[in-house]
Amino acid sequence: MGKKTPASDLLPGTLDLLVLRVLQTGAMHGYGIAQRVKEISEGVFEVGESSLYPALQRLLLNGWLAAEWGASENNRRARYYTLTAAGRRQLTSERAEFNRVVGAIQRVLEMA
Amino acid sequence: MRAAIHRWLRKLRYQTERERFRQELAEELALHADLKLRECSDPAQMRREMGNVTLAAEQSADVRSFIFVEQFMKDIRYAFRLFAKQPGFTLVVILSLALGMAGNTAVFSTVNALLIKPLPFRDPGRLLRITEFYPKALLVYFQRQSRTMDVASVSPGGDLNVTGDGPAFRLTASATSANLFKVLGVPVLLGRAFEAGEDQPGNDRVAVISHELWTSRFHSDPDVIGRVIRVNEISRRIVGVMPAGFTFPSARVQLWFPAALDPRNAEDYWGGEFVPLIGRLRPGMTMEQAKGEVHSMASGVWSMFPFPMPFHWNSQATVMPLQTDLAGDARSRVLILLCAVSAVLVIACANVASLLVARAITRRKEIALRAALGAGRMRIVRQLLTESIVLAAVAGAVGLAMGAFGLQLFRAVVPADLPGAAHIQIDWNVAGYTALLSLLAGISFGLAPAVTASRLSLVEAVKSGGQRSSNTALTGFRDWLVGGEIALTLVLVIGASLLVRSLYALSTVNPGFEAQRVMAVRVSPDPSFCAQPARCIAFYVRLLDQARGVSGVVDAAFANTVPLDGLLPALPMDVEDHPKTAEHPAPMFWSGAISSGYLRLMGISLLAGRAFAATDSRDSEPVVLLTESTANRFWPDESAIGKHVKTTFEPHWRTVVGVVADIRQYNLNNRIPAMLSGAMYTPYAQSVDEDHKMPAVMDVIVKAAGHAPQAADELYRLAAGANSNIPVGKVVHLENLVGESVSNFRSTTWLFLSFAAVALILATIGIYGLVSYSVAQRTYEISIRLAVGATTGGILRMILARSLRVAGLATLAGLIGAFAVIRGLSALLPTDPLIYAGVSAFLICVTMLASFVPAWSATRIDPVRTLRAE
Repeated sequence: MGKKTPASDLLPGTLDLLVLRVLQTGAMHGYGIAQRVKEISEGVFEVGESSLYPALQRLLLNGWLAAEWGASENNRRARYYTLTAAGRRQLTSERAEFNRVVGAIQRVLEMA
Repeated sequence: MRAAIHRWLRKLRYQTERERFRQELAEELALHADLKLRECSDPAQMRREMGNVTLAAEQSADVRSFIFVEQFMKDIRYAFRLFAKQPGFTLVVILSLALGMAGNTAVFSTVNALLIKPLPFRDPGRLLRITEFYPKALLVYFQRQSRTMDVASVSPGGDLNVTGDGPAFRLTASATSANLFKVLGVPVLLGRAFEAGEDQPGNDRVAVISHELWTSRFHSDPDVIGRVIRVNEISRRIVGVMPAGFTFPSARVQLWFPAALDPRNAEDYWGGEFVPLIGRLRPGMTMEQAKGEVHSMASGVWSMFPFPMPFHWNSQATVMPLQTDLAGDARSRVLILLCAVSAVLVIACANVASLLVARAITRRKEIALRAALGAGRMRIVRQLLTESIVLAAVAGAVGLAMGAFGLQLFRAVVPADLPGAAHIQIDWNVAGYTALLSLLAGISFGLAPAVTASRLSLVEAVKSGGQRSSNTALTGFRDWLVGGEIALTLVLVIGASLLVRSLYALSTVNPGFEAQRVMAVRVSPDPSFCAQPARCIAFYVRLLDQARGVSGVVDAAFANTVPLDGLLPALPMDVEDHPKTAEHPAPMFWSGAISSGYLRLMGISLLAGRAFAATDSRDSEPVVLLTESTANRFWPDESAIGKHVKTTFEPHWRTVVGVVADIRQYNLNNRIPAMLSGAMYTPYAQSVDEDHKMPAVMDVIVKAAGHAPQAADELYRLAAGANSNIPVGKVVHLENLVGESVSNFRSTTWLFLSFAAVALILATIGIYGLVSYSVAQRTYEISIRLAVGATTGGILRMILARSLRVAGLATLAGLIGAFAVIRGLSALLPTDPLIYAGVSAFLICVTMLASFVPAWSATRIDPVRTLRAE
């Protein structure tokens, strides 16, 4: 197994950004979000429950997500999260900010 | 901003749906676990990967809640539960803190009333006192010259007769400039204040009266405005009544009248009563500017007088806030008490901190458990801090109540007639101060134990479990705390001992006169009563004869003042062999006008020459008695008898016929007012006062034989019955005057002493706790030592050596501190090396005694039982 990085150890706010981005593709429950992040990052990011669920609550509280109960794969009740309009706007601005910061870091790493 | 409000509203909604939220979250997490299990099909790995589910749920809920408030409330509830379980510990902590808080509350309410609460005047921060005292001419000069201030004058107040339709009475009245009330910015209750021009001769026949006088003598009659009363034989129309609570310049003053400014009467204009000046800063002006201006104005005033004044007289004058000036001597007294009582609180805090450190060690299992369950370090520190703040808050509340209860004791520290003394009470300032102090105390004694406790090693704590291992870092910290307590206590106890010593010296001082069973009653005829001296003399001689006839009276006399009554009759003198020069203008002599029996009655010894006799009359040769110090000052190498002195305004010289012993006339600690260069007695028939007239107001003095309780009443009836137009004061007992003259100092000393006693008790508890705790911690070690043959004496020595080291070092530090602090106060306190040494030895003995009890119990340990139990 490759080296894993808990998402909470990233730049502050990165986990929120990843969750928002994953939900851009459609509604998803908590486990789904964690799996998706893990898959796409090819196992680099391991999103632990103790950071995922507080993050989801935080995003709900900020009004960027909406939650709705629905049926899951195994016919159990699951809470599905979707992006709200405010959440979309937040994602756009946070991605721009993220790109700016990462770009800056890259420049420093390459040129200094 | 809008987002923040939305967030807040969502949180609020959550408060009502808390249970549903919990269930939903649990369901969500359970699903998560199931899905995960399906993926990896190994429960153990699933649990490993899931991590701390409880923490996830808790933290998710935390996002939703007003987390800080909720945790705080939870901590408070927990703290109370904890305290209820340990009532002994809690009671000791709260009581010792509450004692400190109570003292602080009470002393601070005094400081608040005198120094902090704004004076009840308009914009009081801009009111200043111009230091030193000035004649009327210089009031006018300052009023005309000052660009920075509006200047007013107010005399401290003197006793005057008031006659009107009722019986005559005497009150304290103050002569003021016409603008005084405008400068102070106080509206009148009724009528009006003085108007500009009412300080001109002829227009000055007006008066403003106090609310108290209005209610007591004029039945609160609103028609009092316009009424004419006679104040020392001058008719004055009452134009205004001041509101209740207006006490300026002191609570004794009941009436104000304008001081007439008459440049043609140069003697009064330049040489009348010298009075304090106050000023109100004009808009835009600062105190610094006023200071500079007063400095330049005052530097030359000595040369403006129409008669020689001392070179550069008053040229060091400056300004200070009026509030500081009004507080006077009381200021330093209450500030010293505030320092002392703060030290007591610091000691109490150190004690509690030391107890909490000990408890933190015994609580390390609980703390370790919390940490194991996922509590962060900050969270643990916050919980422990909350506990200590709760303790301090409870103690603060108890202390506030105790302080309010004991406030009466603290009022005695300041003179009762001080403006502001009436405002010594618990108000919001005081309550706020106590609350702030509680918070600070809670943080200060809680922080160090909390931080150290949270740092305790988890593994160590869980592994060892028992109470055996002692944490050396924490124990060392306790040594410091207790050592600091002892050092501070030493400073306080030395200070208290020095104060008590000076109080004792004052109470045993030989005042030079015999106060026992001596009573005096002041008889105060109007000034014109003595226009014909013979009438006046006859009046007092008759009164004297009648007083002698009172049953139980063995001797009687009269005089214009009795020792320690606060009066200061003083006259400018010409002295033979000492011609006046510009550098040495006329010296001022205290001047007692006495009947021939006065010296005998008061027990004042005659050192040379003769005393007065009935033959020293108006027609005989003018004679005078000098005090010993006066005679030595002017004629150090020869006898003063036969020399001559006279007042500057008299034509005839007086012959010195005798020298008498000095007495404590002005105060018990023999501080002679700076204005005085000497003291003399003149026979009443030959006496003059400041107004060049025969003194009219006299004290009739009697000495009673043994127990004669009715003598005072009879003396009063006698004096009051002599003439209904002559007001008569209360009968005063000279012994009470002596006692009252040091009453503020005595109260201060007793308070300081009680603070020191509390500090001593706390420090004793502190070192006792330290030693008994360390014995408890070292039971195992001591058992082994005993088992392998250590002697009882050896154990005792080992334990006592440690507290001796702490106490010794602390005493050394305390001595250095005491030297530094008390040197700063050397004006107030004598330095007595014996006290330093004695108190240090005493304190070390007390700490050794406090250590001995637990040390002795250590030697009683049964090693077999202890070692088996382990």
